[in-house]
This record gives sequence, C-alpha cells and structure tokens, in this order.
Amino acid sequence: MSSLNPDQATAARLAGLAQAPDAPRAWDPATGDGSLVEDPAVRAPLVLGNRSFNWVTETVCGYAEKGPGKWFWPTFFLTSQIAALMPLMILYLAITGVGVWGLNNQVDWAWDITNFVFWIGIGHAGTLISAILCLLKQKWRTSINRAAEAMTIFAVICAATFPGIHVGRIWMAWMLFPIPNANAIWPNFKSPLLWDVFAVSTYGTVSALFWFMGMVPDFATLRDRAAKRIMTGRQIGGTLPLIGKTADEVRAFAYGLASLGWRFSSRHWLNYEKAYLMLAGISTPLVLSVHSIVSFDFATSILPGWHTTIFPPYFVAGAIFGGFAMVLMLLIPSRELFPGMKDLITMRHLENMAKIILVTGYMVGFAYAMEFFVAWYSGNAYERDVFLFNRVLPPFLAVEGLDGQLKYAPYWWAYWAMIFCNVVSPQVFWFKACRQSIPVIFTVAFLVTIGMWFERFVIIVTSLHRAFLPGEWHMFYPSLVDILTFVGSCGTFLTLYLLFCRFLPQFAMSEIKNVMPQASPHYRPPASTGGAGPSGVHHAPNKEGV
Amino acid sequence: MSTIFPKWTNGLPTMIAGGTVGTLALVVGVVWYTFTPAYWAVGYMPKQPGGGFNHQIHAGKLGMDCRYCHTHVESSSEANIPSVKTCFGCHAEGKLQVYNDSDAHKGKTAFIREAYAEDQPIEWRRVHKVADYVRNFPHHAHVAAGVSCLSCHGNIARMPEVWQEESLSMGWCLDCHRNPEKNLVPKDQVTRLFDVEDLFKAENEAKRIDNGKKFYEERRLAAPENCGACHY
Repeated sequence: MSSLNPDQATAARLAGLAQAPDAPRAWDPATGDGSLVEDPAVRAPLVLGNRSFNWVTETVCGYAEKGPGKWFWPTFFLTSQIAALMPLMILYLAITGVGVWGLNNQVDWAWDITNFVFWIGIGHAGTLISAILCLLKQKWRTSINRAAEAMTIFAVICAATFPGIHVGRIWMAWMLFPIPNANAIWPNFKSPLLWDVFAVSTYGTVSALFWFMGMVPDFATLRDRAAKRIMTGRQIGGTLPLIGKTADEVRAFAYGLASLGWRFSSRHWLNYEKAYLMLAGISTPLVLSVHSIVSFDFATSILPGWHTTIFPPYFVAGAIFGGFAMVLMLLIPSRELFPGMKDLITMRHLENMAKIILVTGYMVGFAYAMEFFVAWYSGNAYERDVFLFNRVLPPFLAVEGLDGQLKYAPYWWAYWAMIFCNVVSPQVFWFKACRQSIPVIFTVAFLVTIGMWFERFVIIVTSLHRAFLPGEWHMFYPSLVDILTFVGSCGTFLTLYLLFCRFLPQFAMSEIKNVMPQASPHYRPPASTGGAGPSGVHHAPNKEGV
Repeated sequence: MSTIFPKWTNGLPTMIAGGTVGTLALVVGVVWYTFTPAYWAVGYMPKQPGGGFNHQIHAGKLGMDCRYCHTHVESSSEANIPSVKTCFGCHAEGKLQVYNDSDAHKGKTAFIREAYAEDQPIEWRRVHKVADYVRNFPHHAHVAAGVSCLSCHGNIARMPEVWQEESLSMGWCLDCHRNPEKNLVPKDQVTRLFDVEDLFKAENEAKRIDNGKKFYEERRLAAPENCGACHY
C-alpha cells in the first residue's frame, strides 16, 4: 500500500522532518498531552504524536500479533482462575438448589438480579458510543468504540447468566422463551420479565453483529499481514503444539475466516458504511429500550420503592453512567500497558468520558432526589417508609416509632455508599485538574462502578426485605456462594476482555485513519520549518484538518 | 490470497448458511415431533399378567358395561381396577359354559383362579399415568359432566389389550377444557362406546359440537383452567 500511496507523514519522517515514532514527549502545561486544546477554533487532534497511517496499522495489529507484553499471560491466568469460580458456583447451585444463596421468603431476589442489572447496565456505554455518538458524528468515539463494544458483549454475557440461573430448576430455563410445548404453558406475555428476555437477547444480538461487522476490515488486514509474512518467510511466532501449524498459518486461516472474504474493494466499503449506519440506527433505540424494560421488572410491580414511573429514564441514565465508568476502568490500564496506546486514546478522550460521567451522575442524583420528593408529595405512607426507614435513616438519627422503639434503616450503609459513590464522587469532575488527572478519573470510575452495584442492591433488597406486615420482615445476608458467583462473573468479564485484547483488533483502524489529518483532502504535508512537531497540530493548527 | 483458502471454499458461506438453516430446521422438527407425550406415551401397551384382560371380548363382544368392573368411576377420582373377586365371579370353576367346550380357554384364565385360591391380587400394570405433580384425574367429575370414556381412552371395547390412545399431556387436557363441547355426549351414553363411536368421527364433528354446546349450557358446566384445578 505504501509503495502506491506514499504516506506523507512517513515520507516526512524519513526525510528527517517529522519526529521519530516513540520519542518521549513532554507534558505541555497548556494542552496536556497535546489533546487538551482549549482554543475553540482548533479541533483537538484525535491521534497524537504525528503518527502515520502505517504506524496505526502496525500498532493495532501488533497488539494482536505480538501480544501486549510479559504481563499478559500471568494476568490472564489470574483472571481465568477467578472466572472458573463462576461455573463452579453455578454447578453447585444447579446440584443443590437456590437455597445455597442467601435468599429467604421475603427477599427472593437479591444478588442474582442485582448482578444482572449491574452487568446489563455496564453494557450500555458500548452501544451509546458505537451508535448514538456515531450518528451524532462525535469523532472522538473512533478510538474507544471497539473496546467499548467488546465490553458490552462481555457484560451482556455475564448479565444473561444470572436470570438463567436464578430460576431454581435450571433445566427449565428454556421456559424463559415462548417455546411451543406439550404442556401448552407459555410465559406471561403481559409480564415485563418476558419483555426482558426479548430486550436482552435483541440487545446481545445487535451488539454482537455491530461489533463483528466493524471488525471485518480489520480482520482482513490481519489476514493479509499474516499471509504476507508466510510468503516472505518472516513469520511471527513458531509452530504451535498439537496443531502442527505455524502461528501465522493459524492467523491467516482464522482471521481469513472471520473477514468473510473482505477484499477492501470500494463496493465493500460502500456496503460496509451503509450497514454500519443502519446498525447504528437500529442500536440507538436499544440504548434506551433495554434498560427501560429492565426497569419495568420493578416499576410495573406494586411494591413501594419499585412502583415508580421515573424508573425507565433513571435506569438508562444510570446504565450509561456505570457503563462509562467501566470503559474508563478498562481503558486507563490499557493505555499504560499497551505501548503506543496513549497516542490513540488521548487525555481528551478520558476528559470527555469524565464529563459524561459528571452529567449522567447528575441525572442519577436527580432521580434519587425525585424518588424522595414523590414519596413525600404523594402522601403514600408505605412509599415514605420505604425510603426513610428502609433506606436512609442511619442508627444515630433513629426516630422513635409509635411502639416506643427506635426506627432506623437497616441498610442505611448501602444507601449512603451509593450516594457517596454516585452523587458525591463525580463532583470532583467540576475541576479541570481532576478531570485531567488519570488517578482521579480512575478512582472516580472505580467508585461509580461500586456505587452502581449498590444502587441495584438498594433498589432490590431494601424494597423487598420489609413487606407490609412486620411479621414478614427479614434481613438479607449474602452467602459465600452469592459472593463467589459475583466475583466469578467479574473474572469472566476480565478474562473475556483480556482475550479480546490479545487476539482481536482493539481499534477500528480504518475509522482512526479517517480522523487523522492525513485523511483530509486538504491536508498539506508539514512545512519543513524544522524544530519539534512540524505537523504543527498544537502549535500551528491546521484549521482545515480534521 | 489463494494460499489461505482453496477455491472450493468460495461455496462455503452458502453451504454453511444452508447447513445452519437445515440443521436448525431438523433440530426444531425432531424436537417438535419427538419431545412430546404424543410421541412417547401414545401407544403404550404394557404386558399384562395372564395375557391381559381382553376388553375387546368383554366390553365389545359380550357388551359388558365399563362400570361392571370399574365400579367407583362415578363416585371417585380413581376408576378402580377390580379385585380378583370380580373376575372370579364369572371365571370360577364350572361357571361358564365355554369352559366345558374348550380347554384352551380354561387354561388362559387359570391365573385368575390361582390368584383367588392364594388370596393374592393380580398385578395389573397401569396404562394411563399422569405426572406426580398432577392430582388424580377425577373420573367422577368427568363422567358426571357427560364426557365419554372414549374421549380419553379411545374405544377400549375394540382393544384386545389396552393401550394409551391419547397423549394425556397438559396441552391435551387444556384443549378440552377450553373447548369442552367437543367431548360432551348424552349422559346415558357416556359408557356406551359403540353408541358414541360414530359421533366422534371427523365427519360428525359439527353435529357433536352443536350437541356439546347444548349440553354445556344445560348441565351448567364450567371446565376450570386455573392451575389449582389439576395441580396441588
């Protein structure tokens, strides 16, 4: 390719005009790593370091071909050991019954559904980035969409497990679906639990299609590179045991299979763009519908604390909030661990996501406040009691009840943990220094993830654990199996993500190249004025550049 | 990149797509056809002691009423299997003319007299079974409502050895409970299988349903569809 279309940046570099690929770059107080441009007339660069097209291909393919480094396999070993807990716990559950969880007569949904909503919520960032930001032409999405989509798929896998295993008799889980059977038993079509099955399976299918289709051109690149290495005899990796083929032969075959005969023809690209736009259009309503329907599981019941019309928008905002936190938790370590990734995922990407967390955090905080307002304004004593005496009042603010006993909320710590993590902690993002500090962003993302788990726990358990009669009041305590199943699901998620990092293209190469200055028809190669950064992205902004 | 895939693989996507659709259709078809009681329960005909009670002779040729042996069918959930005494009532030594005519016949029924002499029951094998989470099928309620024996058991009077005629699946139960008029007959014909046999032929369905609707009104029936009607 480079012999036919001389890459200007490469040419400039070869001529000694541009800086070397991995020269250390100083932190600019004005623009951070170069992406935090404040001037509204200048578009911040989305790829730093005056990189060439070739560098993008080499870097992104390199992650999948050469592997990310020595840290990978030990980390993978660790996470896969944790992941193994999940099938073990599920097996134990299937053999023994749901009694191995901490459920009781009153709290018949607890960690299972909490984990389900937690994981399905995390998936939403992927769809938002790949669909809504695509339709809104937010170009910064290009370097984070692939990872976010992958994360979505893995989160949906973790999420979908829990409703399947919480049914008690797992071998009857097929009854989640409306399958004609000799018993003439159908799921209740009026129940949101069935809508949930459709919503989540549609979401999983569309997300997987979107993810896979986006990867097809990148698979083809990986295929062609492997095939070329086989022909030139410069293969990466030796002969694989058991198979007896070289790693590159396996790569050429596997990526070739996955690339579906992609030949980079214009017609392919035309169809690809159309299909991408259509899938983005299909996915956009899904961003809103899936978590709305998940919230119907609760909102359509008559249980105080669940029976709330604010739930659908509140859940969707929370899902995007938690999803972006998870994207940050995955991408920040990736940036550090994968060489060159800091040029693809810039500080601006992180700052943008921090801003989204701030906004959605406000939406979630507003929803928390509205729940209280409605509990008071509706005058519904049960609703009010659920909030005051099940969730909020800590023991040191206990109120004396009619029977003379002190009333306080036994789950107050969970509620306040949620408030601290979800409402208080994102407030630091009002400050530019915090928004642009990686440790702060990571800490907040971590807290938000914890807070979002607690949100679901608070909604589910505190509403359930006290029914209308005090005789039906029971606390929920998780069993070891509860805990290990959740830990195992985290391990599964991380293991799948690590496999993605190792074997699949982590970035949409063609899309990244599209937002680089070289892609602009008006692009002029940097003038040979000498000095640092002759492409002049941050010093002499090219307004026509992308 | 001909080095990776030979030319014949061009047809693979079509083959895979076709194969997937075909396999799916096959799996669905096989499950649809075989994973039902209609496949694995209908026709169940266990080997009965002594070669079995020949309904074709007793209920068919001799015209005995069902209730001669199944005495509690009108008063109990269970349509009881008669004790040896009931058999012995006819098959005692010297009681039937046919014994004097043919030794073969006498030999065939010897096990009844042996069981009677030893005061032991005959271990008849149960043919019609419902799952253990279902209440016993209330025969008395259905007989009182005017559901013919034939609706569930087929024409037993034509069976030399009894087999299971219907699937007894829940869907099959519900099919009747939702459209009970299909199986209602005049009350005096409930156990008269040959009298109603014609009515249950396909060409008489319209007539049967018309009658059934009338019976349903007259008898003030209400076939329940709630879970608790059949399950504990």
